[in-house]
Amino acid sequence: MNILETKGLAHDFGGLQVLCGVDLQVRQGERHAIIGPNGAGKTTLFNVITGTYRPSAGKVYFKGHDVTGLAAHRLSRLGVGRSFQITSTFGRLTAFQNIRLAVLARRGIRFSALRTIDAMDDVTRETDAVLARINLGAERDRAANALSYGKHRALEISLALASDQELVLLDEFAAGMSRDETHDAVELIRRLTEGRTVVLIEHDMDAVFSLADRITVLHRGEILATGTPAEVRADAAVKEAYLGEMEF
Amino acid sequence: MSAAVRRLAWLGTALVLAAIPPLFGPYYTNLFLTFAIFSVFSVSLNLLLGYTGLFSFGHAMFFGTGAYATALALKHVSGLPLLAAFGIGVLAAALLALALSPIVVRVSGTAFAMLHLAFSQMMYVLALKLHGITGGEDGIGNFPIPPLTIAGVGAIPMKDEPANFYYFAITLLAASLWLMWFFTRTPLGQVQLAIRENPTRTDYLGFKVSQTKAVIYVFAAANAVVAGSLYGLFHNLVSADGALGALVSFAPIINIMIGGIGSFLGPVLGTAIFQLIEELASRYTEHVELVIGLLLVVVIMYAPMGALGVAKQLRQKWRRQSPPTGALQKSP
Repeated sequence: MNILETKGLAHDFGGLQVLCGVDLQVRQGERHAIIGPNGAGKTTLFNVITGTYRPSAGKVYFKGHDVTGLAAHRLSRLGVGRSFQITSTFGRLTAFQNIRLAVLARRGIRFSALRTIDAMDDVTRETDAVLARINLGAERDRAANALSYGKHRALEISLALASDQELVLLDEFAAGMSRDETHDAVELIRRLTEGRTVVLIEHDMDAVFSLADRITVLHRGEILATGTPAEVRADAAVKEAYLGEMEF
Repeated sequence: MSAAVRRLAWLGTALVLAAIPPLFGPYYTNLFLTFAIFSVFSVSLNLLLGYTGLFSFGHAMFFGTGAYATALALKHVSGLPLLAAFGIGVLAAALLALALSPIVVRVSGTAFAMLHLAFSQMMYVLALKLHGITGGEDGIGNFPIPPLTIAGVGAIPMKDEPANFYYFAITLLAASLWLMWFFTRTPLGQVQLAIRENPTRTDYLGFKVSQTKAVIYVFAAANAVVAGSLYGLFHNLVSADGALGALVSFAPIINIMIGGIGSFLGPVLGTAIFQLIEELASRYTEHVELVIGLLLVVVIMYAPMGALGVAKQLRQKWRRQSPPTGALQKSP
């Protein structure tokens, strides 16, 4: 079954056609990588899927429901999360506060102002458990933007997954990471996304091939090929488009 | 701090507040009440500015609306109880905030600041032009102030009874301050910080950013009116310049900047410093605003986090210089 599907998705920025009829199919439970050269329209595709931009044509379906142009908080409550190319956390709040916000969101505590938050022991416990799971226990009381790059990224990914999202979109999580950090991040994603569906945009081919079950190649706003890593590697059109651009 | 120590601290504060009228006489009592009123007003603005990242140049609009509503109610409705008039003020400004919220939650930054300057100036001009209702430049003065009736205690006179009015006002102001402090410690108070730090991420977590902003906005406005309404009763006069003018909007901004934007009590400290300087400067010069303006320039250039920010820096410096004390030292 396809958890996420786009049909004829198109988007243009003032005449510049960035997406031209993208039919993406993401199966339930798979890790699906979207690759392609710079300017292929990968991030725009994410932004259209998550409602940041309205598509000029086409539809987005999540679990069979039309979610085209839905606001981010509504999409989030349906079970779609995302991370950003530029790390997006609550910078001056502590790691603990960051995760606690995610815990509040997951529990649907949104307009509660009758009890102090410190009195909610179960929220505190759950937050500490999440911090331990992502190896941030020691950094509990550090401000998010004072964390090392890798840890800051890990924090963001857990925010994207926080409300038990069924589908999570990760936009270049390994960008700017060292080799070791990338390796750790791949392990973290593997661990945290177990049983969920992941769509990831990534330039780091090692990360892509170690994580992805299937790969979609985007080129100039169109899908060039979709298939298993082996199929994509063998695809003639992909080879032609990438010749001299990227090493497989 | 253990619960017992905290309870003692609260009791001590209450005793000090209660002892001010008999110990210091009417002049200093009134000075302190002015300080308390502007403290609550400044803290209510800081809920928007410091906690939600929304900069308003027009917070006086709520202060003034409440003051006018309370005064008008007392002037026109005979036999209206004092607390009801006060409640009408709070309600009026909360309704104004609610009416504005669909517009103002959609903007932030400079647009938010300028929109508030525009709205508050509009209210100011309305107060001047609607002569028949607001008394124009004269404002509404010498309106009746009924006694406070408490069941089982009787009627406590308020008009021309500074000590009685002080106790009445300080109780409501303390309640307002406590409510705002409590608010910052609730889950909604955390969402507030999240919106300040990163509205997009807040949205993606599943929080309704606009609606949350609206709730905070109305709450901040309602607490600004507690100050505004009591200010009108305190002076028994409500005027456009005194309650709605641009300076009334700027005063809490200056208080917050001087005291420190990064904490709950910063604006209270700022109000104290502001008033102290105003009080001292006015003994030597008529140009008090000039002195305050210079101070503000110095603060912005050399201490952008205000007096509490400086205190924090000094404490950290002192801690680094002091020799390690073993177990008491926190690991960096």
